[in-house]
Formats: sequence, structure tokens, C-alpha cells
Amino acid sequence: MTNKRYAIVLDTRKCIDCKACTVACKAENGVPIGRDNYRNWVTTEKLRGTYPNLGQSFTPGQCMQCGNTPCNHVCPTKATGVNPDGLVTVEEKKCIGCKYCMTACPYNARYYNEETKAVDKCTFCAHRIYAGGLPACVETCPTKVRVFGDLNDPNSEVSRLLAKHPSRVIKPEMGTKPFLFYLM
Amino acid sequence: MSRLLDNKLSRRRFLGLSSCALATVVVGSQVKVLRALAKSGEVGDLTRLPDKSVFTSCEMCVNKCGVIARVRNGVIYKLDPNPDYIKSRDMLCARGNAGIKAMYDPDRLKYPLIREGKRGEGKWRRASWEEALDLVAKNLTELGEKYTRAGTMFLSTEGFQEHFFLMLAECYGSPNTVRHPTLCLASNIQGFGATFGTNPTPDVLNADYIIMSGANRAEAFITPDTIDLLKGDGGRRKLVYLDPRFTKTSAKADEWYPIKAGTDMAFILALIHVIVTESLYDRGFIETMTVGFDQLAVHIEPYTPEWAAAECDIPAADIRRIAREFAAAAPKAVYYQGRRSSFFSNDTQMRRAMAILNAIAGNWDVPGGMIPNGKIKLAEHVYIAPWYDDIPDRLDQGSVTYLSAKDGAWLHFRDRVLAAEPYPVKGMMIYKQNPLQAAPNRAKTLQMMEQMEFICTIDITMSDTAWYSDVVLPEATYLERMDPVESLPGILPVLSLRYQCAEPLFESKPNLWIMQQIAKRLDEEVFESFDYTIEEFVDHQLSNNPAAKQMLEEKGVYYESPTPVYRSSYGKPLRTKSGKIEIYSEKYAENGLDPLPVYTAPEAPPAGRYRLLVGRHAYFTHGTTQNNPWLHDLMPENTLWLNTQEAKKLGLKHGRMVQVKSPVGVQTLKLEVTEKIRPDCVYMAHGFGVLSRGLTNIYGKGACDAALIEDKACPISGNAAMHETFVEISPA
Repeated sequence: MTNKRYAIVLDTRKCIDCKACTVACKAENGVPIGRDNYRNWVTTEKLRGTYPNLGQSFTPGQCMQCGNTPCNHVCPTKATGVNPDGLVTVEEKKCIGCKYCMTACPYNARYYNEETKAVDKCTFCAHRIYAGGLPACVETCPTKVRVFGDLNDPNSEVSRLLAKHPSRVIKPEMGTKPFLFYLM
Repeated sequence: MSRLLDNKLSRRRFLGLSSCALATVVVGSQVKVLRALAKSGEVGDLTRLPDKSVFTSCEMCVNKCGVIARVRNGVIYKLDPNPDYIKSRDMLCARGNAGIKAMYDPDRLKYPLIREGKRGEGKWRRASWEEALDLVAKNLTELGEKYTRAGTMFLSTEGFQEHFFLMLAECYGSPNTVRHPTLCLASNIQGFGATFGTNPTPDVLNADYIIMSGANRAEAFITPDTIDLLKGDGGRRKLVYLDPRFTKTSAKADEWYPIKAGTDMAFILALIHVIVTESLYDRGFIETMTVGFDQLAVHIEPYTPEWAAAECDIPAADIRRIAREFAAAAPKAVYYQGRRSSFFSNDTQMRRAMAILNAIAGNWDVPGGMIPNGKIKLAEHVYIAPWYDDIPDRLDQGSVTYLSAKDGAWLHFRDRVLAAEPYPVKGMMIYKQNPLQAAPNRAKTLQMMEQMEFICTIDITMSDTAWYSDVVLPEATYLERMDPVESLPGILPVLSLRYQCAEPLFESKPNLWIMQQIAKRLDEEVFESFDYTIEEFVDHQLSNNPAAKQMLEEKGVYYESPTPVYRSSYGKPLRTKSGKIEIYSEKYAENGLDPLPVYTAPEAPPAGRYRLLVGRHAYFTHGTTQNNPWLHDLMPENTLWLNTQEAKKLGLKHGRMVQVKSPVGVQTLKLEVTEKIRPDCVYMAHGFGVLSRGLTNIYGKGACDAALIEDKACPISGNAAMHETFVEISPA
């Protein structure tokens, strides 16, 4: 899709760490069984404080569909590509399983799929969004932590949320220009 | 920030290890599971069928959320939430999404099985349906002749096809149906019912102030409450949460108090004390809608915040402030009663205290308050059960003050079976229930099963209970069958329907078919009540409501209003003796019970022992989904939570194996040293430590709480008291 820049905005205050997104993704994208195989995740952050003064947050994440893609730069076979709308993709047939991209990704967003013999990662469910749907993780979320949309459209909910609220990205120091925005 | 990903960085160890990793990878997609099964001849080859989307509702837990099954080529490849299904607010949780894996599960029950070795030995013979059903009918007939028809108990739990199982019990002639409520919410129903004449639903979405006692909604999902609780509305709502554990609900609450387990009633009575003594209640409401306020005013005098503070470990100043905030937010303030209320033997009276607090806040049937459940009417299924002479009363008759004739009192019933008093029960028919995981004191349940002459279990997987049965019958999963319409009561009442999404795998059959086949073999007269197809049954249910039929077909749900209807109970008498809200219960007084809740302190843990707590996770439903491959990935085993300081005292390190010993059992599991629990309590997740080797992912993993919990119960409702067991911890 041209003229679009897809992004996800997350309000982690709503996240209850229920892992619906992780399981929905496994179903939607045929991710093999196994704790190390996943396209998205919820990080249970370290407990803050000591009993009885405690706090804890949960941070969902997935491929950040970076504007500056370290995975793409290191791929020797051009299996990794970037669509005009910002989606970072892996072409299974071209992937030789060297895993350079897995090492290069600062977010650990990629895994090696033993069934397809290729590296796999989140595509914001490209097959769903190009058909007018939502990414499976966005749709299934009980509390709707994630909001998906086009940042090139100033009236999209993602644009409006980012205009209204301050947000942060993860590991900005890496210079990857991620397109997952966490509301503060 | 760099810490963010630490918890998931572990998979980097697999870099460069793909050949080793290969051994652990199991096929992921449904198609691959089917192909593997087709190769071994367990299912037929895949054939090309048109793609379709089918409305159904989830059966991975009890919430029955709206689902659209995406079917390609006869295979369900994805379950999506149904956006029109107002009850579940366009969502599916991890379990809902993992429903596919319940169907395409290599561990599923595939064929009827007949036990060959000793009970629990795991030696089975594949049988034809014909042979297995003949054997069930033969045993039911013989048991009836030997012990009367009451000599067989029928255990089941809720589900759209449970109706047919309960019908079979009735038509066969056994009064002894034993359902789940006394292991769940019987005391809630009793305590709120005695006050309001019904167990209402809190209007979570519109409440400004919510207090919760242990109802861990961020993990123990109830729809729409779990979702509505987090909607937050810009910080307008306040959530005060009481739990001896720091749960995910604690993490989301505005205030969390690690209350001393079993003292919630003291906290509630003190809130009432402040609201009454400071005249913060709704006087007009109390005068017109309630009875017994004057007795309450006298009754709560000694229950000061200072008194409660010493009981609950919650500062008096906080109790006083919370009471004032609650009253200020009223009527849009609720003390959320939760569902599972099997905590302590005083639980009915504790729920009464909650109900009374809600009553004096005047939150009855108004936005943000306690709303009596609406329910959409279906055409009733009228059938005539045969009459048998000489059928005695229920076995557990008279064992508790208020016994439900349909549900029974689980623990009391088991005691009477073991004592063979007043008569012997020697047969067990089980549908969907798994008492070896669900009922406290597993050793006793095993004893009860040992003395049975015949046990038949109908289920989708080899549960522990199926493992100890004589005949195991494989039911089709919810995705493979059409179910009756269910009228789901609540604040957003809906009609829910399951259309069949795919053909049943293997030789599994819908429960209606199983019941029909047994009925046919028992008696022509019994079968008469079962002689219809599921489509005919559904048509009859909807015969008075063509609009419902149409909306169910078009949207997968039927509702009359997309928003709650308030004040429908005003101007009509409530279903209590006085027709009003009963703060003081005349009915209880007549039965020799405290007419107003009287506090008694829970027993303190003896030196060197800890109170064992039970609780829920968002990944598992009771003892049923732990073996599901996707959910198993999320939590492969349970651990024992022990407070950091206590672990230090005992010299026990995080991650080591420990032995947990209670007066009724011993279990071994990994220790989790954590700040997230009171020092006087320990906790383990439910549903592990299984006996069945048919659950291949979890067999040999973790510990079983049911093996440790003592069988104590609430004498009023019969509800199990699951938090009254003390355990010793030692290195294993």
C-alpha cells in the first residue's frame, strides 16, 4: 500500500498480561508451538518495591516496523524487505536461515520457524489489514491496549492519539525509528 | 528501559541451535496436525471445501463469549471475536483463541474406551460405541435393581448440553445430581439471595467506585466485567482491591491491601459502621426499599475501624476514608461480590455483609450499582420423566441449611457416599466435571471412586476423573457440534447459540447423541423425552421469538437492548419474604442462623505453617485447559509462592523443589520466592499435579492443590471452604 504509514499505539495502563494477543497471533500466523516461537509478546516487568508496597507493569510488543531497519541492512539475500507502507517483511523462499537479522534486531522480534525453515516475524497481519481488517492482536485484546492505523492520515485514531498524548518508543538510542508508540 | 525485554531475551540461546531445537518443535498449524493424523489413519484425508465463517460461542470457560470461526477447507484456522456479541465486548482471551487447539489436540479422547487394568492404571481397550453404550446401559440397569435408581450419582457442570445430561438423570430416576456450585459460588447466591432475593450483577462499566475482595478480575475473567473494569474512563473510577496476593488486579488497582485472609467481613462491617454512624447512607432508599436497618445500626456498634484494623491488617484511617469515599460515590459505588466464593466456612455471612453494604449505599438497580439480572425467555422444553416408586430423597438431604435440589452439596455428598448413609451409592455418571482436580481432599474423592461399582465419564480429554473411570466416552468439542440456545442472564442479557463449525473429529459425538443412545438402551419411555434432533430442539426454543432466530442467524447473538436496563425491579416486590431488601433476615433468624452477619476471626496459622491459598490465571479454566498446547506454552507448570522473608527464614532458595504437606496430602513442586504474597500465606495455581498420563504436556508437572486442601465447608450453603488449610514447607 502506498501513501500509508502503518503504526500501532499502545496504552499499556490497560494491559492485564492475559496473553490473548500472543495466542491469537499464533493461531492467525501459524506460529509453531514452543515457548521461544512468537511474533508478539507481553513482557511482565520486574516487580517494583517490596511487600506490601508493590507495583508492576506489563508491556506488550512485537516487530516495531522500524523506519531504519537493522534487520534489512544485514540480510545477505534480500529476504527481508520493507514495503512502502513501512511494513517489514520476510520472504520465506529467499531466507537461508543465517539469523543475522535476529542478532541485528534490538527488540528480539524475530524467531526462526522450523516448519517453514525461515525467519519469521510480525507483519501487523499484513494479509488481514490489506483486506480491510485489523491485526489479530489488536482485534482480540480484551481491553484494547493496541490501536492500529495509518499515521499518514491525520484523522486516524493513531494520529489523534499521538497528537493528544505524549508517547515514547523503545530503545530510541538505537536509532531504529520504531513505529510502535507507547503512550505515557 | 533496557530492562524491558529482559524477560523474553531467553530465546537468543537458540541462535545457531536450530538442529537441536528441531526436536522440541511440534507442528503448529491445524492443517499440519490433521495431515499428521491422516497419515496415521486417525482421520480421513483433507478434502476441498468452501471457506466459511460460522457464529459460535466459546466454551473454553464459562463466559460464553461471542466467536466467529473462520473455516477454510473444512478446517478451523482462526477464532475471531464477534463484534456484535455485546456481552463479551468484541474480544477473545488467550483461552478463547486456543479453542482451536482443544479440537485439534493429539491428546483428545478419540474413541470410546473401556478399562482393562485396575482403575487408574491406564490400561484401556478401544471399543465401538455400540459396545461401550451397551455396557453403560447394562450397568445403569443393574445398579438400579441392586441399589434403587438413587444408587447412581450424576456429576456435571454447566454447559449448553448439560441440560440433556440432567434430563437423563431425571428420566433414569436418580435424584442425586451433584453439580459444581458448592465448589464455586453457592455461598454468594445464598448470601445475596437472602438479602435481595437474587444475586445481582454489579454495573462495573458505570460505577465510580469499586471495592473487590479477592475477585481477581484481571486474571479470573468474567465478561463484560473484566473489560469494563479496565475501561477506566480517564481515572474517574477508583478500584480498591483486597487480596493476600499481589495479583494482576492488584497491579491495576488504585489501592491494594494485602488483607489478612478470612477477615474481609471485619473490613466490610467496619465500612458499614462508618457509613451508619456518620449518617452517610441513603435514608430515603433505606426507608422505602429495605427492612431491618434499625437492627443493623445497633448490630454494627462494636465493629469500629480500629477494631477491624487489628483483624484485617488494614489501617483504621484507610478503612474510614474508604467508607467515606464509597458513600460519597454512591449510588455509583459497588462492593463487587465476585463469583467463586469458596473461601471460608463463614462465607455466606460474609457475602451477606457485602450485600448489606450495597443496600445501604442505595445502589440497587441504578446506573453504577447492583443490577438484578435480566433474562430473555425461551420456549420451555417440556418433557415427562417416568415415575419410579421407592426412590429415596437426595443422599445429602438435610446436610446443609439451604440445599439446592439440582446442585447438591459436594463435600457433604461425598461423606455420605463414604459412610453409605442413609443408603449406598455405587454408580457414577460424569459429564464435564473433574472432581479429582476440583474437589478438596483428592484422597477422599479417590476413596469414593474406589468403592464405586461403575464409573462412566463423558469428556473431551482424559481428565484425572476419566483416567479413574471404567468407560470413557469422547464428546465432540463445542466447535464440532450445534448446541441448544442458551439464555445468558446478566446486566446485558443475550441469547447465545453455537452453530456447528466443523465435522466432529475421530469418533467423538455430541452429548445429545450420547444421551439419546443411552436412553434408547434404558427404556422406550425414557427415550421419548430425547426423540428429536438438535435443530428441532433449537427451533422449538425459538418458536415464540422469530426476531431472535433471525438475529442469531445474522449476528450470532440476540439481545433486546445493547445497554443495561435500570429500575425494572422498582414498584414490584422483590423475591424475599418481605418483598423488600432484607438487611435483617427474618428467614435466617427462623432457621437459627445469625439474622445479621456476626464476625468470627479465622484461625491463625500455627507456628511453622502457612495458609494455602488458591486462585485463578487468565490462561486456565479450573482444571481443564492446562494441557492445551498454546496455553501450556504460557505456563508449563505451577509453583509455590512464598514470601521472600519467609523463604530466607526457612533457608529455601528460589527455584528449588519443595514438599508441601497438609493434614490430607503431600505434594512437591518448584518454589517461587516472591514479594507478591503475605508472609503468612502460600499459593499455588490450580490444575497441575495431574494423575492422568493422558494429559501428556502436564503429566508429572507441578502440584495439585486439591490433594492438599482439607474438606471444610460452609454449613449454610454447603460451599467448600478452600482457604482453611495450613501447610508445612520443607526441602524436597
